[in-house]
Amino acid sequence: MTLDDLTKTSGEWLRGTGPESDIVMCSRIRLARNLADFPFTNRASRNEKADIEAQVRAAVDASKLDSAFFDINGLSNLDRQFLVERQMISSEMANGEGPRGVVVTPEENISIMVNEEDHLRIQYMLSGFRLPEVWEKINALDDQLEDDIAYAYSPSLGYLTACPTNVGTGIRVGVMLHLPGLVANKQIDKVFRALQKINLAVRGLYGEGSQAFGDFYQVSNQQTLGKSEEEIIKILTDVVPQVLQYERTARQELLTGRRQHLHDQVSRAYGVLKTAQTISSEETMLLLSSVRMGINLGLIDDLSIATVNELFIQTQPAFLQKLRGSELGVEERNVARASYLRSRLTNGQPEEQN
Amino acid sequence: MICQRCQNEASVHLTERVDGRRRELHLCVACARKAGLVLPETPPDLGLDSVVQSLISKHVGELVGELAELSCPDCGVRYMDFRVGGRLGCPNDYKVFSRGLLPLLQRFHGATRHVGKRARPRPEAAQRLRLRSRLREAVALEDYEEAARLRDRLRLKDQHA
Repeated sequence: MTLDDLTKTSGEWLRGTGPESDIVMCSRIRLARNLADFPFTNRASRNEKADIEAQVRAAVDASKLDSAFFDINGLSNLDRQFLVERQMISSEMANGEGPRGVVVTPEENISIMVNEEDHLRIQYMLSGFRLPEVWEKINALDDQLEDDIAYAYSPSLGYLTACPTNVGTGIRVGVMLHLPGLVANKQIDKVFRALQKINLAVRGLYGEGSQAFGDFYQVSNQQTLGKSEEEIIKILTDVVPQVLQYERTARQELLTGRRQHLHDQVSRAYGVLKTAQTISSEETMLLLSSVRMGINLGLIDDLSIATVNELFIQTQPAFLQKLRGSELGVEERNVARASYLRSRLTNGQPEEQN
Repeated sequence: MICQRCQNEASVHLTERVDGRRRELHLCVACARKAGLVLPETPPDLGLDSVVQSLISKHVGELVGELAELSCPDCGVRYMDFRVGGRLGCPNDYKVFSRGLLPLLQRFHGATRHVGKRARPRPEAAQRLRLRSRLREAVALEDYEEAARLRDRLRLKDQHA
């Protein structure tokens, strides 16, 4: 599997299937793990990082996980950005230094970053709201890797991590939510404040500190010590349905109170995406968000959620440039983006899809 | 600021409160003496060192004073490095800096004890961490004989791991 292969497919987490997938784009769990007998990444020498990478790769091979390893130093900036867009690596990893890499499965539901802030950042994503299933799968993968890796662990403090904010379970349990209704009725800040009060973090699509776009927000736990993995998951599975309820109510209010206005807005968004000759990334996100809500409310019936989900990722700069096979300036990208959107939205079945 | 009695630069600044109203007086040294104020000949010792110390204690906890210079024998990170950069250097830091870390963990996580999944015990791992730190030292000191010996020991342990 090469990076170019990935441009022809899309991640499982974008399929738009699974429970509550009208609002919950995907469920994601990440585990932070370190090798017991090495300094953390920030203090490890080049040689030590290379040893860490070799040990992790051997453990992945032994686990028989169908996957490919990408050495970040061997990738162009464009390819690194491409992996960031696909949520396979963090921008910290893209811009880091020294031996480091990522293990990616063909369905893109698993990524294992090696030598990021921690030696291993194992991530598992599935479309829809199914955190217990994700936990079951990532837990099994973690067990397999542990057959060949001695994890840094203390009976009193749990899994030891470079930053004490991740110590204990080392787990981050999150969901990616599409909340255009709460954005439209301006209740979103209120909901976020309520979530923050119970120690849940709210972030944008691309993680820490990134601006939410396309009305997508990630909600995840912050505390990792003193609660079991199951307890942390239960907090999310208890709280997220309430947010979903607020979002559904907001959408229904929009639909009953301002149906014509909403229908008009959604149709115009769809129309612009289908016909524009040049379009910025920001405008695309905004319009795709409208269209996505429109499909869920039955205002658009000739477009699948999966296609819209994919377009959020496949209209990002690096994907477009890889598709064209060359680096493009902003203006050229805007033209390429519009052209790609037209082909995906008017041809019925796009050729890129498998 | 100009002295309120002459045109020299004012260096004595007084404020007083009369019936809840604030009154300010700005004078140069000569006018202040004339007005009967007793001024010290040399600038007083403001005790800046102790002020800084108390500020540090107030903001990063009493323990920092003692802990600040404490460093991990395995990775060389000092507690202060961690407080500045936010990252620990190796797993052993949790033991070495536990007095400083536990209050932080309590504040952030609301807990100081792990509950949940347990890793398999690896008693040999701590020893290997120590061997690696000795290897780094030997390389830094260009003691290649010792480095080769340590590498062999690590390799031997790799096979047993």
